[in-house]
Amino acid sequence: MISESKLETARMEAEVKLVRKKQKKKDILVILSFMLPALFVYTIFILYPIITTFNYSLFDWNGMGERVFVGLQNYTALLSDNTFWHALKNNAYLILVSVFVQIPLGLIMALVLFSSIRGKKVLNVLFFLPYLMSTVAVGLLWIFMFDPVNGPVNKLLNFFSFESIHWLSGSNSALIAILIVMAWQFAPFYMILFKAAMVGIPEELYEAAEIDGANGTKKFFYVTLPSLMPTIVSSSILAVVGSLKTFDLFYVMTGGGSGNATEILGTYMYRQAFVNFKMGYGSTIAAMMFIIALVCAVGILFLDFKRRKKQGVA
Amino acid sequence: MNDLKKVSLIIVSVFFLILSSACSSEGTANQTKSQGSGDQITLDLWHFDPGERMEIYAEAVKRFEEKHPNVKVNVLQVPNDEYKQRVVVAMAGGNAPDVFASWGGGWLHEFVKSDQVLDLTEQDIDFDKFIDVALANAKYDEKIYGLPLGISLYTFYYNKEIFEKNGLEVPKTYDEFLNVVDVLKETGIYPIAMANQPKWPGAFYLMYFADRLGGEQVFQNALNRTGEGFDSPYYVEAGKYIQDLVKREAFNPGFNGLPYDAGSARQLMYSDQAAMMLMTGGFVNNVRQEFPAFEEKMGVFQFPAIEGGKGDPTNISGGISPTWSIKKDTKHPELTVELLNELTSLETAQDYVNRSGNVVAIKGVEVKDPYVETFTQWVNEANAIQFPYDQTLPPELAEVHKNTTFDLFGLTTTPEKAAEEMEKKAKEVIK
Repeated sequence: MISESKLETARMEAEVKLVRKKQKKKDILVILSFMLPALFVYTIFILYPIITTFNYSLFDWNGMGERVFVGLQNYTALLSDNTFWHALKNNAYLILVSVFVQIPLGLIMALVLFSSIRGKKVLNVLFFLPYLMSTVAVGLLWIFMFDPVNGPVNKLLNFFSFESIHWLSGSNSALIAILIVMAWQFAPFYMILFKAAMVGIPEELYEAAEIDGANGTKKFFYVTLPSLMPTIVSSSILAVVGSLKTFDLFYVMTGGGSGNATEILGTYMYRQAFVNFKMGYGSTIAAMMFIIALVCAVGILFLDFKRRKKQGVA
Repeated sequence: MNDLKKVSLIIVSVFFLILSSACSSEGTANQTKSQGSGDQITLDLWHFDPGERMEIYAEAVKRFEEKHPNVKVNVLQVPNDEYKQRVVVAMAGGNAPDVFASWGGGWLHEFVKSDQVLDLTEQDIDFDKFIDVALANAKYDEKIYGLPLGISLYTFYYNKEIFEKNGLEVPKTYDEFLNVVDVLKETGIYPIAMANQPKWPGAFYLMYFADRLGGEQVFQNALNRTGEGFDSPYYVEAGKYIQDLVKREAFNPGFNGLPYDAGSARQLMYSDQAAMMLMTGGFVNNVRQEFPAFEEKMGVFQFPAIEGGKGDPTNISGGISPTWSIKKDTKHPELTVELLNELTSLETAQDYVNRSGNVVAIKGVEVKDPYVETFTQWVNEANAIQFPYDQTLPPELAEVHKNTTFDLFGLTTTPEKAAEEMEKKAKEVIK
């Protein structure tokens, strides 16, 4: 009797298991079929080009004629290419400015918009405006702003009796000028991210902090900042990867000049591939950009993972 | 298990359906395009000229379309500095336009070498109507790959009013020219306007200095590897002349950071802030489009002679622009050749001469425009016409030429180093 019922339950359990298994399979299929369109686009427009880029990077090719397989020769040439290292250094400056200027600036702007000052709505629009403009328009606008003779920036400097600066033609000032424009254009993007994250911070945390006697600054450092940490991490990844990939503003404003003072990986890749007719070498630069960006992104994610583990969140 | 198979079958079939439809739709579209003359045919035409010239091409295209009612020509105009890259990308991607404009020389040669351009030698074209020098600019291995329309001369444009006010005369020699620069500087006017970010405006100076100092042979020898190369003393000397001008503050400040297409240098001319500019014939076209009032005060003069220089002062530099070419794999070779003939017809050439302020590479036009009259006279008197280096040299070397010249202007290199770097690359690239 007992053994029979036991058998019965075992059989039923097995059946349930089977049904569950089937259910799970079904779930996977449903998920997959929902993902398919995105996967399709992703494969064709992202995965495929990345793979072909790596493929092209192994050839000596002008983009149109015959391809000659040269193995890793392009890579060894790249590693001993001074311009490449110079461009990488400029990208590094770009990353520093993005992470340590743009993101804090975005945070400050978001905090201003959350404080209780008057004219917040106007400020909101003003802050966000630069991000809405196309980069080419921004580039041209700032070329005129930085005009050495008639540009408002120099006129302003002159007004405060400083000497005019030939912004875009000096090798140091050109890079600084573009970095200023970059910060101006992209800080609003981080501002939006931070604003969205700040809305999500529960009011109770602030109330509890107040009861514990926290003032404004303390509330910021012990409530706001920790709550924003995930946003800061994802912003940093976006900033690093974005800085490595950037091209348009540099192309419009200086085209990698003056000399090669503002050459970055993006403009150098472009110049090799489309101006010097070295598609293979250009692809090698693109492949290196991809590898560097990947390593950076994984690095940041790993650091974040460790941080969360330490806090016992993960 | 059965379910899994079914669903996966559906997924796979959907996948292939999308793929095959994507491919086939392109295939059928091409088929209908190439079918008999009764169907609508579309040709693509790309060029880089704004203003009046753009109008003139549009009118030529219209005449062509009237003769061929079933043909539609899509014209795309892209500004200079962007145009080159646009075409390279299109060629590399196999989406090149049927007809495209270029400057001939080394740039077009790069496409010819990759077998992307149609050989016009055997086509139904009357080659006798073209001026030989211009036609030779798109001739490689005795085969013609492009038809020239305009000749754009590089000359000094100056503001007559400013010159008169300061009692200045058009300088014939370089010493006189330097005197003009010094006098203008004292009045607070920028003697020469330049927007050198794209690097070719400054390259004109190197080209002219080398020519005035050593004659047209300097470049020919370096290019053809016969005799002295790009490290010839004349190039070093030319570099010194450039840096001397920069140190005299002959140019508007910050010129190396100004993009030409955006118009910063032209504005200095229009607003009387600068007095002279060494520019292509396209400037006349720009003035008429952007600031017609300036034309009254505008004059032209040739690059001054250098005392003791070996170069013939009648030598003139200029580019063949545009040169029309056809992509090799066009589906309608006869039609595109006909379109080319219309774009270089006497009627088009006459319009070009009358309205764009430029000389044409086509014989038999009647010259009325005062600028064209002067330019034509100069061309006829010229001992030699020099084509711009950056369009004659192979692209990679052209880049080095532009970069080293740019650095000369920026005073970040020495004439010796610039010449050395140029020669090093030339040995690598020209074989």
